[in-house]
Amino acid sequence: MKVNGKQVGGTVEPRTLLVNFIRDDLGLTGTHVGCDTGHCGACTVMVDGRTVKSCMVLAVQARGAEILTVEGLAQGDKLHPIQEAFWKNHGLQCGFCTPGLLMSGLYLLQRNPDPTDEEIRRGIEGNLCRCTGYVNVVKSVRAASKSMRKGGEGGARA
Amino acid sequence: MIPKSFDYYAPASLDEAIRLLGENEEAKVLAGGQSLLPMMKLRLAAPTALVDIAKLPGLSYVRDEGDQLAIGALTTHDSIEHDRTIKDRFTAINDAVVRIGDQQVRNIGTVGGSACHADPAADLPTVLLVLDAQFVIQGREGQRVVPARDFFVDVFATAVGHDEILTEVRLAYPPPRSASAYVKHSLREADFAIAMVGAAVTVGDGNVCRGVRIGLGSAGPTPLRATSAERYLDGKALDDDAIATAAEMAVEGADPPSDVHGSREYRMEMIKVLTRRSLKLAVGRVK
Amino acid sequence: MTMSVTTPKQREDAPEGRVEDRRLLTGKGRYVDDLKLEGQAYMGMVRSPYAHAKINSIDFSKARESPDFIASLTGEDLLKEGVQPLSQNPWPFQKRAKRYHLAVGKARFAGEPVAAILVRDKNSVEDLIDLVEVDYDSLPVVTTIEESKQNKAIIYEDWGNNASLTSEVKKGDAEKAIASAAFVIHAREGIARQGAAPIEPHAVLVEYDSKQDSYDVWATVQSVHGTRDKLASELKKPKEKFHVRVMDMGGGFGSKGAQSYPEAPLACIFARRTGLPVKWTATRSEEFLEAASGRDEYCDITLACDKNGRIVAVKASVECDLGVTGSQAHMPTMTIETMPGPYRIPNQDITVAAYVTNKMPIGPVRGAGGPEGCYFIERAVDLLARRAGLDPLEFRRRNVSRREGPAEGEADFRLLLDTLVKSSHYEELSRWRSDLHSKFAQQGPSHSSLIGGLGVSVTGSDESEDEEEGEDWSGASSGGGGADGGSKPWQPGGGSSGGAGERWAGQTPGGSGAAWQSSGDSPERRTWPGASEETLGFMSETARVTLDKEGKVTVYTGSSPHGQGEETTFAQLASEELGVPLKDVTVVWGDTTLIPRGIGTFGSRSAATGGSAVIDASRKLKAQLVVRASEALGVDAKSLDMRGGGFVRASQPDAVLATLNDVLVKQRADEVSASSVFTLSGLSYSSGVHLCALTLDVELGKVKIVKYFVVEDCGRMINKAIVEGQLHGGVLHAVGGALFERLAYDEEGNLLSSTFMDYNIPTALDSPEVQVFHETTPSTVTLDGAKGVGESGTNGAYAAVINALNDALSQLGTGAEVNMVPATPDAVFRALNAKRAKTPAARDSS
Repeated sequence: MKVNGKQVGGTVEPRTLLVNFIRDDLGLTGTHVGCDTGHCGACTVMVDGRTVKSCMVLAVQARGAEILTVEGLAQGDKLHPIQEAFWKNHGLQCGFCTPGLLMSGLYLLQRNPDPTDEEIRRGIEGNLCRCTGYVNVVKSVRAASKSMRKGGEGGARA
Repeated sequence: MIPKSFDYYAPASLDEAIRLLGENEEAKVLAGGQSLLPMMKLRLAAPTALVDIAKLPGLSYVRDEGDQLAIGALTTHDSIEHDRTIKDRFTAINDAVVRIGDQQVRNIGTVGGSACHADPAADLPTVLLVLDAQFVIQGREGQRVVPARDFFVDVFATAVGHDEILTEVRLAYPPPRSASAYVKHSLREADFAIAMVGAAVTVGDGNVCRGVRIGLGSAGPTPLRATSAERYLDGKALDDDAIATAAEMAVEGADPPSDVHGSREYRMEMIKVLTRRSLKLAVGRVK
Repeated sequence: MTMSVTTPKQREDAPEGRVEDRRLLTGKGRYVDDLKLEGQAYMGMVRSPYAHAKINSIDFSKARESPDFIASLTGEDLLKEGVQPLSQNPWPFQKRAKRYHLAVGKARFAGEPVAAILVRDKNSVEDLIDLVEVDYDSLPVVTTIEESKQNKAIIYEDWGNNASLTSEVKKGDAEKAIASAAFVIHAREGIARQGAAPIEPHAVLVEYDSKQDSYDVWATVQSVHGTRDKLASELKKPKEKFHVRVMDMGGGFGSKGAQSYPEAPLACIFARRTGLPVKWTATRSEEFLEAASGRDEYCDITLACDKNGRIVAVKASVECDLGVTGSQAHMPTMTIETMPGPYRIPNQDITVAAYVTNKMPIGPVRGAGGPEGCYFIERAVDLLARRAGLDPLEFRRRNVSRREGPAEGEADFRLLLDTLVKSSHYEELSRWRSDLHSKFAQQGPSHSSLIGGLGVSVTGSDESEDEEEGEDWSGASSGGGGADGGSKPWQPGGGSSGGAGERWAGQTPGGSGAAWQSSGDSPERRTWPGASEETLGFMSETARVTLDKEGKVTVYTGSSPHGQGEETTFAQLASEELGVPLKDVTVVWGDTTLIPRGIGTFGSRSAATGGSAVIDASRKLKAQLVVRASEALGVDAKSLDMRGGGFVRASQPDAVLATLNDVLVKQRADEVSASSVFTLSGLSYSSGVHLCALTLDVELGKVKIVKYFVVEDCGRMINKAIVEGQLHGGVLHAVGGALFERLAYDEEGNLLSSTFMDYNIPTALDSPEVQVFHETTPSTVTLDGAKGVGESGTNGAYAAVINALNDALSQLGTGAEVNMVPATPDAVFRALNAKRAKTPAARDSS
């Protein structure tokens, strides 16, 4: 499979979860595990351009796929507009749910570049946050939608 | 958190998948995995083998076949959500699918997976029952078609045999002046329903009922039709009073659970409220 | 000692974004589970499936057959090794019971660890846990306070019963005042057991150094120092043998604080025995089963006022379900101290009794008794207002602060209420509410099922001293034995000045931590077991600030940020004091070697105590530096200031005379530093007023919050965005508690809510847009006037939401009332149907 543009591989048990493959085998610990049942969304990554909860996907299911994790958003030192927007709008506190939220936010904006607040909230429904109350998260995604439309930025590529 | 060990197969064809299922008594089909994997991770399910059909070609589509719509079993909820025909002609499906889980789940969860998982608390089975869907099942000997009323057999059990695979869901286009609706009441938006009701109506002049189907979810081991209410409404004008009466009758045969999310008594009352709301919504949508 | 509160310069110029965000946004955060050591093994916990059971035997033989099995531990093993029971921090008047890392003899809550195993492969941990065979004889289970009181089972045999502690706040003669009051209400209120539920589960990673006999411990803790001290005391080793660290942590909300969990010490033991690094990460189910949860308090309250709507008395009895005896039980006392609120009620008789049950131990979940206390009083205030025929806002206005204006340091509650009315466009909201009501009344519920409700709450306290009316605060352990407890009533220490003097009780701001009671002349110092005289108390924090030759400043703080932003705010404080650009300041925390003494981050204390310590240390450093600059430049020290990364004349702040580097080089100093152990002379919490506007679908019983407003006063704001973020999150935490969240148990004591599917914290779709407005009353006890703000959102929101719900219900004229939380649709539905026959006049029974 390709992860953040790089070809990777490994030998794993069938029951190895994609999130654990990403974290343990590939050392990309930006994607987090917050629950057992796929409800918190902290493990959200993009597989073939679609957001999925990587704890609800077996690594073997992702064979041959192109995966984007939070580590693939910035270009070198340059933050992705959505990261920039979260930074400027205090869209994170403890940061644990943030990588998953960035993925969900980015996916939403890629498909709906100018969402209403209701659409933003629906788009991030699958990402639980206990710190922010979501107020600044929504504000950040809104800000990102503006800056991405201005800059014609479609988003990071896998 | 981690499932018990299992063997994993990713067959290249439907036939191979069927053969693998036949050879493994405790094998299960894996499509999107959004219902199966959580159960395996909690160790409530422990199949010894998974047969991954997610990448099988030709099973993901929404096709207009003249008098019916055919939906490939591997069509994701997200694809269904964005399909115009489904939204226009089978609006109840759209109502239901936007309430399934969240965006991530809808991105890889499939209509076939949801139907075959047959969780009475899930959204799609109820709607497919209401819309009188037909289920196309592929087995060793070929293909058979099972109507919705015979498809959902028990909690987590359908008419699909162990070495069979659901390949398509068919929906006959309803006659003119028909519409459908699905309403769900849950604690949070994303939760499984406390109560859910789907309604499909066909009306004549003066909003007289020419056909109605009412389906309840979370009201028993399988989704069920509120047949008493349906019989009552047949031929009557679908006004507020008739709908209110039908709503009271809708709980006949309903057997909702009592759990942390709601008591049985409460759920019974909610079935009545939602029956009224879904009927009104459906009638209001008739063009 | 007088504190001078200096007006900080440029407080409005907060940085564009937080310092810590870059790594968190790019996936480079270092949470404990992210860390990996070569050859690490994985610990698995075998947990009792029974809430109450005798443990007959534990058999590892099947597990041992696996090639992945490395080692095992039981409670008996630990006893043999002389490991001390789990550290606890009970009140002197609280009954004691030992709790062990691994249950000895009996399991007392479902999920209690009874054995631990060490496993080679991460995927196999649960397989091997399943292979450990434990033989239990189940015992009768106690899951409610009623059952506990009836001694359905006695959880700690030598107690004789299940009563853990009692406490009370008394003032005047409540009984008499109620008897002659113009208006009186009664209510029975309650908040179910609810969890902290941080998104990051607990985790620990330990590496043992056999040469040094020392432990390198990474743990998800809100206090590395507290954890170090506990490890030392439980494992009977000197503190220096434990290097405890944490870097990034995914929330704590009190559940990663000063409780003793078994996993870190067990990991240490495994690491020493096997020489392997040991990692443990809780699954979410384990997190629900074991992590300290909160609330579970119930209150019978009588509130009375005179004919002018002035509250004359409160009489209440509160009961708390502690679960098994845990690390801390200051929530019950915090609750009753919070209850009088800012109302200066002249007659108070508030008692609390806490009981043990077969559930996981209670802990200081965000607010730690503050939300409960605020809820109990604010709900009653609303009921009394209506009984007296007054608008709830007006009623509160009449009762906050009877003096002419607020006392020094106290928020101006009248101003807060006025600002709330203005900022929320209250008139418009009232019209919206009426419009919805008209539609509902005209069209009936099946056509227009929504009604609107508005609810307010006040959080905060009267910080003033009240010398004429001396409260008498005391606590007693409930009768009967108890190994260490005895039944001596505990009185606040003698030698108190002026009778009322340092009484925090009844004067405690809404927020946690006031349970660290003052006694005698100095604030009581709460210590951890085995702590020496040096160990710091709750009112203190440490800081060390260093400056190197390059002009880079490092702030070492005893605080432990996990989302609250101290990596930025403390850098701001040092930057302001030293005139050094923000980018040249680094904040370091969470390392017991780099920072030998500290307390941690919990109880809304970091901005107050930690912030003041940073300012104090920075000022001391500045004083040193100014002297050095004076020597180096031949300029009178008194005329110098620090600006722009160098030294300036105070009279010409834009002309830098010399950089920091210049001076240090001249002085041949590589590094200059200064330290502070700063102790507040009093508590310092935010105050606020909340307004919730919601709709109630009367057919479904479903609530949707449409608008939410807070006017908060946290004194000086170091960083406005961060303050508002704390309010947003704090409010939503309580919204979840008010409407959705319950840790539900069945009669066998099985936890039914052990996943995020069944324990429902709010998603983005369930959360309102929380609008925050600000007033500023500087604290009189912190160096910059800042007050702690982490919990104030949570303190006020339960009441605002439930008051709004009841406001909606009141429009139905059926007398339906909801006082038990969470107010789920089912609960609301039951209230709607239960009260159908009752007339409004008979509304005062619970």
